[in-house]
Amino acid sequence: MGLGDLPTRGRHGELAEYGARYGWTLVLVLMAFGIIALRLWQIQVIEGDRYYRAATENIIRQVEVSAPRGRILDRYGVALAENRPSFDVYMVPHIFRRHADEEAYALLKRYMNLSEAELGRIRKSVESNRGEVLLRRDVPRLEVARLEEDRLRLPGIEVRATAHRHYPLHHVGGHAVGFVAEVGRSELRELRAYGYRPGDRVGRMGLESAFEEVLHGSPGLDRVVVDARGNRQGESQTRFLIGEYQRIEPVAGRDVVSTLDADLMVIIDEAMRRHAAGAVVAVDPRDGAVRGLYSKPHFNPNAWSGRLSAMEKMRSDNDPFKPMLDKSVSAYFPGSVYKIVGTWAALHDGIYEPHDEVDCPGYYHFGGRRWRCHKRGGHGDVDAFTSMAMSCDVYFYQLAEEMGMDRMAEFARRFGFGERTGLPINHESAGRIPDTEWYRQYGPDGYTRGMDLNSVLGQGDTLTTPLQVAMAYAAIANGGDLYYPRMVEEIRNQSGEVVFEYEPRVRKKVGIDEESLEVLRRGLWMGVEDDMGTASHVKLEHSEVAGKTGTAQVAKIGAVRVANSDKEIRLRDHAWFAAYAPYEDPELVLVVFLEHAGHGGAEAAPVAMEIFDRYLTRDQEFDALEVRLGSTPLESVGGAR
Amino acid sequence: MGAKTGGAALIERIEWPLAIVVILLAALGLFNLRNASLNSPASFHLAQAVWYMVGVGAITLVTLIHTRFFQRWAYVGFGAVVLLLVAVALFGTELNGSKRWLNFGAFLVQPSELLKLAVIVVTARYFNDRNKEGSYSLRELVAPTAIVLSGVFWVFNQPDLGTSLVILAIFGTMVLFEGVRWQSVVALAVAGVIALPFGYAFGLKEYQRDRVISFMNLDADTHGQSWQVRQSMIAFGSGRVWGKGHEEGTQIQKGFVPEHENDFIAANWGEERGFVGMLLLLGLYFAFIAAALNVSRKARDRYGVLVGVGVAALFFWHTVVNLGMVTGMLPVVGLTLPMLSYGGSSLLTMMVAIGLLFNVSFHRPSYG
Repeated sequence: MGLGDLPTRGRHGELAEYGARYGWTLVLVLMAFGIIALRLWQIQVIEGDRYYRAATENIIRQVEVSAPRGRILDRYGVALAENRPSFDVYMVPHIFRRHADEEAYALLKRYMNLSEAELGRIRKSVESNRGEVLLRRDVPRLEVARLEEDRLRLPGIEVRATAHRHYPLHHVGGHAVGFVAEVGRSELRELRAYGYRPGDRVGRMGLESAFEEVLHGSPGLDRVVVDARGNRQGESQTRFLIGEYQRIEPVAGRDVVSTLDADLMVIIDEAMRRHAAGAVVAVDPRDGAVRGLYSKPHFNPNAWSGRLSAMEKMRSDNDPFKPMLDKSVSAYFPGSVYKIVGTWAALHDGIYEPHDEVDCPGYYHFGGRRWRCHKRGGHGDVDAFTSMAMSCDVYFYQLAEEMGMDRMAEFARRFGFGERTGLPINHESAGRIPDTEWYRQYGPDGYTRGMDLNSVLGQGDTLTTPLQVAMAYAAIANGGDLYYPRMVEEIRNQSGEVVFEYEPRVRKKVGIDEESLEVLRRGLWMGVEDDMGTASHVKLEHSEVAGKTGTAQVAKIGAVRVANSDKEIRLRDHAWFAAYAPYEDPELVLVVFLEHAGHGGAEAAPVAMEIFDRYLTRDQEFDALEVRLGSTPLESVGGAR
Repeated sequence: MGAKTGGAALIERIEWPLAIVVILLAALGLFNLRNASLNSPASFHLAQAVWYMVGVGAITLVTLIHTRFFQRWAYVGFGAVVLLLVAVALFGTELNGSKRWLNFGAFLVQPSELLKLAVIVVTARYFNDRNKEGSYSLRELVAPTAIVLSGVFWVFNQPDLGTSLVILAIFGTMVLFEGVRWQSVVALAVAGVIALPFGYAFGLKEYQRDRVISFMNLDADTHGQSWQVRQSMIAFGSGRVWGKGHEEGTQIQKGFVPEHENDFIAANWGEERGFVGMLLLLGLYFAFIAAALNVSRKARDRYGVLVGVGVAALFFWHTVVNLGMVTGMLPVVGLTLPMLSYGGSSLLTMMVAIGLLFNVSFHRPSYG
């Protein structure tokens, strides 16, 4: 194999023909390295600070620390809404995408118990690289432990301990207390300025919603050092890199001490066990404090605030009795509980003296037709007291004929009917007190005199809410003060100091004269305590109660009366009972409204009496409540029966 | 040269400037790797130290074998490497979609690395045999090009675009150094420009085209191809002038730069030592290339000249392409940074190449 002959040599002994090429080669190498050096100059010297900031932002993550939501307490400090620790699982898609494989998806599916559809959605989020994804809220401890064991195979998956909203009374008082739900995307635009961020919870319905600003608190700020997989680094690393950074502590939401009485709410719930739909309002007539606000069918705020919410929503949407509607502030025909208006108006205007008698043969002739009394055989001679006690319709027909609708409407408004009471929650209805003008404007056939007769009985187009009825009866019980319904006693900070107190406020004096008041009170007393009273069959042994039954006709079927039991449910009458007790020194006004339940005396009065009975004798029972609240979940107390 | 004998004579024949640069690069490489793997479960620097020891053995062996041996067996050796590449295509082990390795039980061999060395030796031998004074025409270059392409073809097919290109670049450098008529260079350049779009459209695989696209637009794919380049640039940039300091490279140590022990190892040095440190590194590579060219310059025949140039080209192209890639100037093609990147195959190739330099210098007085 020839290896070639030796070529000519240069001055330094090198091969002469390559001579200058070494020099050129080195120049070219220098140029190439020079370009790299220039590039490094650009990155490291000119743009160095920018990249330095980027590197810092890479590893230091600013984290908002959610503030614990304030609690909602009853007047005795029993928690109606509180926080309990919960674990939520989040995914950071870009980290998951960069490091995870099919096995990670399979693990995720198994641990999080995801359906194929849910997994598909997660895959989509990972692909589209959106921000953090909440995979599961309120994951049980055991599942969290299993997940933590496999953390290395699940990059970008984070478990965060958060406070979960819990409602110890479960469905009891759900409408009044409300629930929380994740803040909506459109809402967030507005709320971001107040420290809300995606995934935060915001109050819906009830006190949770009305006192959102008080309960929410403001988030704190923390900085943590993370690695490229998003894992938090240790304390010493963090201190080394960001020094003595002061964490901004979150300010916890404040506690709302409501006027509600958890014990009473449970009693109400138990008393309502036989009825599917309706509302109960309990008010302290002395200061307008709402002690109980109850609506049925109910819903469980725990389910609405937790992972079952979608299912709960579907169930609620399909329920014809509308569980999410707060019936205590919705408007219905009041029926005979409304007769207090006619009685007061007649006495005030001198149309009747209290003892003036009207003969009730069981019907009343007016406008060429016979208007029936609910008692077919008639009540005989009735006066202002007995007409109230026995709820004689004829007495009121005659009264209405003489008085006219407009004057009656005026007195109704003095009692606060037809206007919102000012309850801070649940968008209460104003109800409706029609007058001749209203009929002329809205009635399909305009106004006719017969409408006066319907109106006085709380029928026709008259609509009131159970809460309005309660406030009006409270005014009778307290001597004429129409209070604003008060749902909150005070606001306390986390140290328990009272930061704001809600004083009782009188909305207006109804202006009822002493004599009329006495007649009304006596009439109501007789309704329960006198043997002729429509609610006398359920009177209490230990306390005297003053009350008025009401049966509001929902639909008129032909000329003959049809028994409720023969009607389709949605055509059956509403049953009402409005009362206060103890008669001599009233401390509680109760309005029981039962949707399509039939007669007020037969259905609503027993419910109210059971509540009064247990409430007024509850010194012996109070301990029992603690036992119930402390041990057994209250689901068993309510709707299942 | 005096009449020294034994050990003293041996020591005198060692190319000391080259040796010192190599020792400095090795020390810097190990030190840098140690810091880069501070938070890694594996101790890359320890494994690399073992490879360095193997490398020193390889350098010694290659240095001591007579230069004529390499010249004599150049074609056979090249042919053997091509056969190994064919074997890779037939029985190779596939990793991450590329078939580049031969599995010999205990270890994996990457014949494309051997091809870099084989091309240097075979090209040197080819031109040495021709011993032509003056420049080569295109026609005269067809044969050596065909020889080299017979090997590169298999590497390109693995697919390994980066290695194919760097081998062609080494060959091209050697050819240019040997002497090509300027008309031929112009003709080749024009042909290359014309062929470029066709090569892009038909020669490249989908993922290779993605790399080019993400190189053109770093914002195109912030979490895929561009991610590591972007993070690497943040690492370099955040080092600013003087660097963040010893063991304080957060970008690397917190794992933001993937492959930070391998292709992106320079990012750690740049982050911890800053612009000044990078100039020092560039200076060392320049010193190495200068030392290699010095060996070439002092060689007594074309073989020695071209081996020196070939090894200098190997280091040059690896360094330039790697640093160009990690600073976002060139597309990511997967080339290591000589002596700094972690990995046995790459390091061993570089060490054997250094051995070839020592070999040329060591046997200079006698092999001609």
